[in-house]
Formats: sequence, C-alpha cells, structure tokens
Amino acid sequence: MMSIAETPLLLSISARRGNTRTKVIGAIMIVLAIFVIVFFALGSPAGAHSQLTFDPVNTTDSPIRLGTLTVLTRWWNLILGIAMLGLGVEVFWRQPRRGVMVRFGGVAVLMLLALLFWAVRTPGPSQVSFVNLTSIFVGSSEVVMVLIFGALSGVMCERSGVVNIAIEGQFIAGAFIGSIVASETNNFFYAAVVGAIAGGLIGLVLAFFAIRYLVDQIIVGIVIVTGIDFFSAYLNLQVFTPYPNLNVGNFAPNLPIPLLYKIPIVGPLFFNQSGFFYCMVIFVALVSFALFKTRYGLHVRAVGEHPQAAATVGINVARIRYINVVLGGAIAGIGGVAFMASQGQFIPDYTSGFGYIALAAMIFGRWRPSGAVVASIIFGMTVYLAANLQEFSVPISGEILQMFPYLITIAVVAGLIGRVRPPAADGKPYIRD
Amino acid sequence: MRLELRGITKRFGSLTANDEISITVEPGQIHSLLGENGAGKSTLMNVLFGLLHPDEGEIVIDGVVTKFADSGEAVRRGIGMVHQHFMLVPVFSVTENVVLGFEPTKSLNRIDYKKATDDIRRVSKEFNLEVDPDAIVENLSVGIQQRVEILKALSHDAELLILDEPTAVLTPQEIDALMAIMRSLAASGKSILFITHKLKEVRAIADVITVIRHGNVVGTAEPTATESELATMMVGREVELTVRKDAYTPGETVFEIRDLVVRDDRGLVVVNGVSLDVYAGEILALAGVQGNGQTELVEAIAGMRPVESGTITMNGRDITNESPRKILDAGLGHIPEDRQRDGLVLTMSVADNLVLNTPRRAPFANHGTRNLGVVTSHAEQLVRDFDIRTTSVNEPVSSLSGGNQQKVIVARELSRNIDFLVASQPTRGLDVGSIEYVHRQIVIHRNRGNGSLVVSSELDEVYALGDRIAVMYAGRISGIVDPSTSREDIGLLMAGTTVGNTSD
Amino acid sequence: MTLTSQNSVVVTVLALILGFAVGALIIIFTTATILDAFRGFFNSWGAPGHAFKVTFDNVGAAYRDMFTGSVVDPAGFWHSLTTGKGWDNTLTPISETLTYATPLVIVSVGVGISFQTGLFNIGANGQAVLGGIAGAVVGSMIKLPMFLHLPLTLIAGILGGALAGALPGVLKAYTGAHEVIVTIMENYVIYAFLLYVVLSTPYQQPGQANDIGRTIHASAQLPPIFGAGSGLRVSYGIFVAAGVVAFAWWFLERSSLGFDFRVTGASPTAARASGISPRAVIILVFLISGGLAGLAGIVQVASTTHYVDGTFLIGDAGIGFTAITVALLGRNKPIGILWASLLFGALGVGGRAMQAATGIPFDLATVIQSVVVLFVATPVLVKEIFRLRAGRTQALQLGTQGWG
Repeated sequence: MMSIAETPLLLSISARRGNTRTKVIGAIMIVLAIFVIVFFALGSPAGAHSQLTFDPVNTTDSPIRLGTLTVLTRWWNLILGIAMLGLGVEVFWRQPRRGVMVRFGGVAVLMLLALLFWAVRTPGPSQVSFVNLTSIFVGSSEVVMVLIFGALSGVMCERSGVVNIAIEGQFIAGAFIGSIVASETNNFFYAAVVGAIAGGLIGLVLAFFAIRYLVDQIIVGIVIVTGIDFFSAYLNLQVFTPYPNLNVGNFAPNLPIPLLYKIPIVGPLFFNQSGFFYCMVIFVALVSFALFKTRYGLHVRAVGEHPQAAATVGINVARIRYINVVLGGAIAGIGGVAFMASQGQFIPDYTSGFGYIALAAMIFGRWRPSGAVVASIIFGMTVYLAANLQEFSVPISGEILQMFPYLITIAVVAGLIGRVRPPAADGKPYIRD
Repeated sequence: MRLELRGITKRFGSLTANDEISITVEPGQIHSLLGENGAGKSTLMNVLFGLLHPDEGEIVIDGVVTKFADSGEAVRRGIGMVHQHFMLVPVFSVTENVVLGFEPTKSLNRIDYKKATDDIRRVSKEFNLEVDPDAIVENLSVGIQQRVEILKALSHDAELLILDEPTAVLTPQEIDALMAIMRSLAASGKSILFITHKLKEVRAIADVITVIRHGNVVGTAEPTATESELATMMVGREVELTVRKDAYTPGETVFEIRDLVVRDDRGLVVVNGVSLDVYAGEILALAGVQGNGQTELVEAIAGMRPVESGTITMNGRDITNESPRKILDAGLGHIPEDRQRDGLVLTMSVADNLVLNTPRRAPFANHGTRNLGVVTSHAEQLVRDFDIRTTSVNEPVSSLSGGNQQKVIVARELSRNIDFLVASQPTRGLDVGSIEYVHRQIVIHRNRGNGSLVVSSELDEVYALGDRIAVMYAGRISGIVDPSTSREDIGLLMAGTTVGNTSD
Repeated sequence: MTLTSQNSVVVTVLALILGFAVGALIIIFTTATILDAFRGFFNSWGAPGHAFKVTFDNVGAAYRDMFTGSVVDPAGFWHSLTTGKGWDNTLTPISETLTYATPLVIVSVGVGISFQTGLFNIGANGQAVLGGIAGAVVGSMIKLPMFLHLPLTLIAGILGGALAGALPGVLKAYTGAHEVIVTIMENYVIYAFLLYVVLSTPYQQPGQANDIGRTIHASAQLPPIFGAGSGLRVSYGIFVAAGVVAFAWWFLERSSLGFDFRVTGASPTAARASGISPRAVIILVFLISGGLAGLAGIVQVASTTHYVDGTFLIGDAGIGFTAITVALLGRNKPIGILWASLLFGALGVGGRAMQAATGIPFDLATVIQSVVVLFVATPVLVKEIFRLRAGRTQALQLGTQGWG
C-alpha cells in the first residue's frame, strides 16, 4: 500500500495545481475583502459608530478598566477590509510557498470582526451596541480548549503513526462517564481521571484492532464512533432518564489565580479559568517537551516516520504505538469531560463534530502541539462567533450560521492537503517481517 | 570478531529460504556472500541481524553460542548492518538517525545532543567518513546517506559489519571509495560480510567468496575465480553473460526528447534540459545512478508527471503532457520501475492484469461492457506464449514469483501493438533466468525494427542491451557513447564529468 | 477489492454470534432487574439459579421480541396458515423489515461502490438527506400525473444526493482534500440546511410553525404493494432497490468503468500508470455514491413518511451511517450488501419492537451492529476466539490510508 506523503496520485495532482490552488485561495480572500468593504464598510451609514470594549463581564474582577473605544463603523471596517485585501493580493500575486492558510485564517478572523462591528453599529437594529473582545475571547476559550484537547490527542496518536478518527467517540465517552462521577462526587479532578480512563480504554480498543489485527485504522475509528454514539444514546435512556441526578453539570468552577487575573484582557482569559483549562496548558507543554526533547519523543517520531528503521535499532514499534494511542485517548477523554463541564448536562450528540474539527486543527498545526493550539484558536473563535451572532441581530438565519464552522473546516482541509507533510508512516499498519 | 553460522535453516511455510547454511567469517576478513536474487541472502542476513529467528542452527560469536531476541540485541553484541534500503528516517538529522535507540541522555530523559554530535564527529574522523551531523538526511545524496548508515553501525561499536547490496545505488567512483573504506575497516580488525550478486565487485574486494543458491551453500571460491565460473556456481548452469543481437542497423528517428524540464514531488528541478533521440531498430540504454532524474524522466514520458517545458515526440506525434491513456493508446509500451506499485494490481487476477492497459479496447470490451471470455482466452494465450508460470489465469497475480510478475508486464506490453518501449530497471530483483528472458524479449522487439529506451543502473545490463549508451547525471545527459566505451569512462560520465561524445 | 478470507461465510456467522453475545452482556449489565438479582447472588442457595433465570428470561425475551418483531411470530404464522386469516398481522414484521431495508440497500450499495474504489464516503447520510429534500420538494410543490411525477421525484432525489457528493469528489480530485473530514463536515452542513429548509423556506408545511415540510402528493409516492388497507408498508420501493442491486452488480463486475473503479481501489498507482484518470474516477465515484444515497433518501420519504421534517435521518434513523457498517459486512459487494441490509434491517426493526415490549432502548441493536462489523473486519480475531485454523485471511483494508 502506498504511503501518504509520496502518493503519486495526489502529489501529481497537487504539483500540477499547486500554484493554481494558491491563486484560488487568494482570489477567495480578495472576494471576501471586497464583500467586507462593500457591505460592512460602505454599507454602514456615514455617521454610525460601534463600540469596542475590553472590560470583563464581571466588573468587580478587575479594578483596571480600559473603557470603551468608539469608532466610526464605516472607516474602521474599511481599514479591516483593506487589510484583508492586502493579504489576499499578496497570496494571489506573490504566491508564497508557506503560510498561505495562516493568512487565510487571518482574513477569516478579520472578516468576522468586521461583521461584528457592522452588526453592533448605532444606529442599527441590534440591541447590543458594543463588541466586548474580552468576553469573546473568554467565551470562545471553552470551545478552543476542547479543540486543543482533541488536536493534542490527534498529535499523540498520529506522531506514532496511528490515525485516531475516534476522538469524537472519546469525547462522548469521557463526558458521559465524567458527568456521572462528577454528579456523585462534585469534584472535577475525579471526573477528569475517570474521563481519561474512558478515553484511554477506547484508545486501547482502537490500538488493539489496528496494531495487532492490522484492520484499517479509519474503519476501526468510524465503527467505534458510530458504536459509541448509539451506545451513549442507549445509556442516556437507561441511566440518565431514570436517574437525572447523575447528570448534573457545571461542576468545574473557575479558579482564579490571585492578582494575575485582574490584568485586563489577558487576566480573565488565562488566569481565571476552570481547572481543565490549566490542565490543558500543562498538557500542551508536556507533550511538546516530550515529543521534541526527550528520548521517548525521538522514538515516537521515528516510529511514526519509518517504523522499520526504528525496529532495527531495537525499538518496540507496537508498544510505542499502544502507549501513545492510549495516552492520546486519555487526553481526548479529559477533553470530553472538560467540554461537558462547561456545557451543563450531558446530551447525546452534543459534541457535534468537534472531534473532527480537532483533527483539522491538528493538520493545520502540522502535527505540532504549538501549531495545534494556534489552529484551535482560529477554529474555536469561528465556532463561538457563528453560534453567537444571533445576539447581534445579524440578518442571516440561525441555521445557516450553524454551518459556518463546518464550511470553514472544509475550506481549511481543502486548502492544506498536499502542502503539509504528515508523519510518513501515518495510517499505515506496521507489519513485522 | 569471529562469526560462525552453523546449519542455519529458515522456512516460510513450504518454502525453505535457508537450508543448513554454514559460514565462517574471520576477524579482519572481507567475506562475500554471492548469490542471485531470490537465493536467500536477505533472509540469512535478517536472521543474523536478529530480525528473524532461525528454525534450526546456531549463531556463534567468538566461540559463544548466541541468540538474538531482536535486532537491538544484535547491535549490542557488535553486529552492525548497512541495509540495502537505508534504515534512515528522512526527516531526521544525521545526529538523530545515528543515535536512535542509543541516545545519550541528560536529566528528565532529555537527549544530550551535544554529546551525541561530539561522538559522531569523533567516529567520523576515526574512520574517515565525513558527514555534517546537522544535515537533514533526505537532503543528502545517496552516497552520503550510505555513509551515515555505516557511521551508525560503527558508532554502536560494531565488530562485524554486514553490507547488503551496497553498490546498487553508487557510481563506479563511489564504489571505489566504498571499497577503500571497507579495506581500511578490515585492516583495523573489523569483519565484513559483503552481500551481492555482482560478479565484478566480488572479485575486486573479497578475501573469501561463499556462493549460495536456492537456500544452500554450494561452495566457496577465491577471488581469482573467473566471472563465468562464479556465475555457473551461482546459477547452477552455464550462463550466457551477453545477449545476442542482430546487426545494428538504425533507421529514422522514432522518439525524440528536446530540452525537457521536469520537477519532482518537492518542486525541485530534476530533469534539467534533457535531449535524446532514439532510432528505429535500436535500444538506447540510459545509464546512471538512481536519483539523477531518470525516474522522473520516465514518468514524464509515460504521462504520469507534468512536464514544465520541452517536448516529447513519438513517431512524429507530440505526446508532451498528454494523459497516460492517450500516450499508451498512441503506441507507448511502459515497463515501470516499481512493478508492484505501478505495473500490476496485486489483488487482481493474472488475466485482468494482462489487459490492464487496454481494458476497453475491442475485443476485451464492447460499449462499456467487458467480454470476460475474450479476456480469459487472451490471457491463456499469453501465458503460453510468454511462458508465465501460474496455476491459472484467474489466480491473483500476487501469488506469482517476482520473475513471473515481470513476465506478465512484459507480455502485456509486448503483445499489444506498441511502437516504442520504455523499460525502467526491467530486471531489478529478478533471478538470472528471468533476467535472460526479459533481455531476450526486449531484443526481439528491437530486432523487429522498433525503438526502445531502457533505463538501468546496472552497468552490465546497459552494456548488454544498449546499441548506444546515454548517461544521465544531475538531470542532464552527460554524454552519449557507444558500447565500446570503457567502464571507467562511463563511470566518469555517471559522476558528472563530460567526456567527448563518440556518437550521437 | 477482495477479502482473501477462505471461509468468509463462516466468519460472518461467527461474528454475528459474537455480536449477539456482546449484546446480551450489555443487556445484563444495564438492566436493573438483572443487576438486582445478581446483587443477591450469595444470599441464598436458590439465589444464583434465580439470578441466571432472570438473566435468561430478560435476554431471551429481548431477543425473542427482536425476532418476532422483525421476521415472524411462529405462533401467528401457524395460525394464519391453518385458518387462512390474519395474514396482515403475521406478515407485518417481515414487511417492516423490508420497508426498513429498502432504502438501506440502496444507500449501502452506493457506499460499497465508494469503498471498492478506495474512497471513504462517510457523507452518505447527508447525501441522503439532501436527496430526500430535493425529491420531497419536487414531489410536493408541483403537480403532475403519476407516471411523470414519480420518476421525476426519484430523479430529483438522485440529483440532490449527487450534488452533495460532488463537493467531496471535486475537492478530493482537485486538491486532494481527505474525504473523511470533508464528508463528515458536510453532513453537519446539510443538517443545518435541512432545518433551514423546513423552517424558513416556502417548503415548510403551510400552517405549521414547526420544522415539518410539505407532504408529497400521491402522484409522487411509492405506494404499498398490498394496498393501503392491509397495514403492510412494504412498497414498490423494493423493486427500485432490487434494480439498484442488479445495476451495481453489473456495473462492478461487467462494465469497463466499474473495472476502472476496482483497479483504482486496489492500486491507485497502477491505475494511473495504466491510463485511468484518477480525477475522473474520484468525481464519478462520489457522484454515483451520492446519487444512490440521494435515491435512498427520497425512496424513504416516498414510501413511508411522505414528508421531510427536522429530524429526517438524524440520529438513530441515520441510514447513511448504518450503510457504512452494512457495506463492510457485505464486503462491499452488491449481493453481500443485499443480505447484510436485510439482516441489519431486521435488527433495526426488531430493535424497535424489543424496545416497545421490554423497554430496552432500540440503540442496543445498533451497538450489536457495530460489534458485528468490527468482528467481520477482523476475521483473524474471530478465528482466534473460536480456535479455527487460520486460513489465508487478511484484515479488511481499503485503498487509501492516512491523510493522503
């Protein structure tokens, strides 16, 4: 079977079209820029203004208040639009080899900001007249956190050569079991541990079928997710309906770090979060360190790139893959608990595809934890904004808005494939001679 | 070290790959294991290196019977292996590759890269193997990559070095350099086990030659034995070392490449202005070490890779950048370099593979519906004509031996009405019988007045088949010469120095 | 692609047994009465026996209800045979199974074709939804005589599904975007679109504020074979399904294009070297697979509910996901898929019946499906469990792996 990075089928397709694809991306960026300029800049009445504020929602948290910035909507959006245009033209004209999708992400973010400013313009139809960046950051940090957990899980697994499509299932399992434990103990730590075990067990099943029996990893992943999906619906009816007291959410209150949390903007975002958030930060640092600085990390990466070479120096390929997939699963399991903790109750299908968006973030982040974080931030903010645009009376129907995160994921994946190199042995079963 | 293999036997199901093999390698000796493809050399080496466990027999190191649980243990006992397909991680640096599995560590399990790099420089100097520790392996030339492999083995304090077909990817000059390295290693007391099927090299470097055939040791020989003596031992019968061809009477130009520029998968230019002509009734052999653009050149000809500039013309028709379908229909026959990847669909039947390039053409299909009866009878005909050993045409082609798989491809290409044949490494990995067979078929095609381009990194094959020889280096044709040119001169061309063209 | 297992039928049967065994375990561990009985396991001498009896009763009842709900109730069958009456009741379970299986066969065949070409069409559910919407719109918003209206409606369904399939197909062909992520994302997009259509467009049922679409006219419906009065829902859709299976078999085994598909699935590199255009194949596969999914969607609508609402094919009715497991069970071949669809159709219908009778949620049936498929995809494991002699078996592999 062919390997991914050298697939002549697709690489010749993308080699032929590499420059064309960049041009297409650039053209899209330019079109979006023009859209912003026409509708959000020129489309705002001349005297309209929007307010931008950074104050935390809970004003007692911070003695330092930055106040509100009032801008003329039209000019502000014009600036944003021109910035977008600049990026788009650069991509279209100069066709940089690297960083195209990052620029595209930038354009997406700018566009959403322009949309927000336009939506809150006064005079205008919206009840809300200001854009609170701090609350946007803090609000989207929940989604971002989950995506980072998922992407980190993906990195752990794929760096050792195993594709983990079952992240979605690990989210669900972790959330389900975590919520039961949390409801009984009201302790986020125990819930996290149990969620990790649940996710880890699922990882073990995936590893077992993929490594020992050489079943196609994507098939195993999909079957597992489908099974868990239905299993959770089944358990939801068997367990949560008769015993609703087992399904109490909101058990992870914010743990503010003294003093630091009062810093404007950064404070509420980084230093006043739930325990899960701090966990996530630690995990990102740990995984980065382990993968790139330690012996263990070198072995993992060798197994993911050229398992044969690793085997000839005595590295146990199967064992490394088992370890990584189980650990990756555990991380995803905690992510599931984390998300549910912020959502409230466990509802079947609540993760709505985030496990897959996390995979896209992992690809965007080029299989590095740091990149996964950046990608998750971009995706997460998009998801959050799309879900909350309703508040601003944006004249797009709610259902269409719901589509946005998924459309963006598709766009990112389409823009990136062929330009990024996964670990060379990713997805290929290792067959011992 | 003194290594003894006593009665090593290894079976795979009903196939006995190694049958009671006994060999002794003395310290400081360059011992060559000679055998054709499929003789069992690789299996034996994998046993020695701990990747396989022998069914019977023992490995004795310095008088002590030893068992290896895995190759890590073999390495720790002093056995180092330089594999035919390098065991290097392309995206890692030289340092990371060399220390893999034996990394020096600091606190917290961190790798001590400084110590690692120092160690590498030390060993590098000691054995005169210059490499840059920070270079990324995939950016290095094949010859340098091989040096990294050797360095890797030496840095694990190997006392016995196994080199598995090391010269397949080297120019004649690089081969000489390798041999010098081997001699100096042997002089410093290391034992060397040198595996190959190449008669010339064995005579040039070995102290002792052990010949193996079909899993058995057939005997030992001195390097003073003649090539045909060695060949006979290797194959078990008299071997024709040359191919008989009719007189060379070239016709008009049937195939033309002009100023071709092609990029590889990473976007680098690997074919850099190549121009060639092939005449009717001739075989143009394209020599050159792998990695100089030949693979991409053939892919471009077959329509599998886009051409950036330049033209390819076949029988007066411009086929540059046409689809593979159109090019095949226009009369190109293609024997691909990687037969299992590009030439065959392993899970499909022999019959289906025999019509792979023309499944829609009558009489195999009719308005989109296949005529399975015709496909089967056609396949049976070809199996008879081309002597393909298979139990049935409906067997999956994966059950055929390498030689027979290549026969399927050859049969398929030569039995449809093609004008021009492009064959890339057509006898790689084949046993001598199959090699003879494939060469014969190509010559038949030539004798009928058709043109062929044979790309090969085996100089023996180039000399045997080529009516004219073109040499490719770094994406360019460094010279086109006739077969009377010496190996040294061709070697120079393969390494990039241009010698005056003696024919064009 | 072929699975080189020698005893694939044996493996399938054994996998089924294992699946039901796992299902039984799940029932045991999640039914309160059984757990209670086991809690008192050591209380008295009769307690273990009682615990096992309770287990047996419950599990047995569950599976028995599954069978009678999906195939036939032997007592009822005997009654109808001897008295000539009550056939409607007796045949209802099979009719329900066939009704459920009809769209399932169609979509699974499409998924199977994509798998045989090495492409993962995980978006079959979304494609079915879009096809259902397209067909339902045509079926409800224009009026035509039946011989025109019904075919037009079905064609609209096919086109809707093909349109949905075009996106991942084109993206993969021209950018190499991995179809797993694209199709999964597209599913969510289409679900949102479904809500939009039934809430905010003229397609919404007039006079309704909920997410319900218009009812399709009788001229666009697939009527039940035995007439509306019989209570047997099996419709003329089964002829459509049979036609699809026959077409798919011919396509894959006998047609040149199908040969190209199979070659591409077995070895994309050899396919390209031999002249097959990968782009064309990729796009065509998704168009066909999507089109079949769309057809399944509209067949579902036209033969059962006659309208589309916000929960169409969502969640436990998601035939697009069941199709994946069905295709794998049927080893991607049309005939195998036919049997697998009937089996899983029976499981689905039986699961509902079981739920009605014993309260065990229907999702258990789908869990059993997943387990069965996992075992079928791993014949080596099944053989190890049952200690069969290993033949030349090979775990299920599809053509592409990773993000290539």
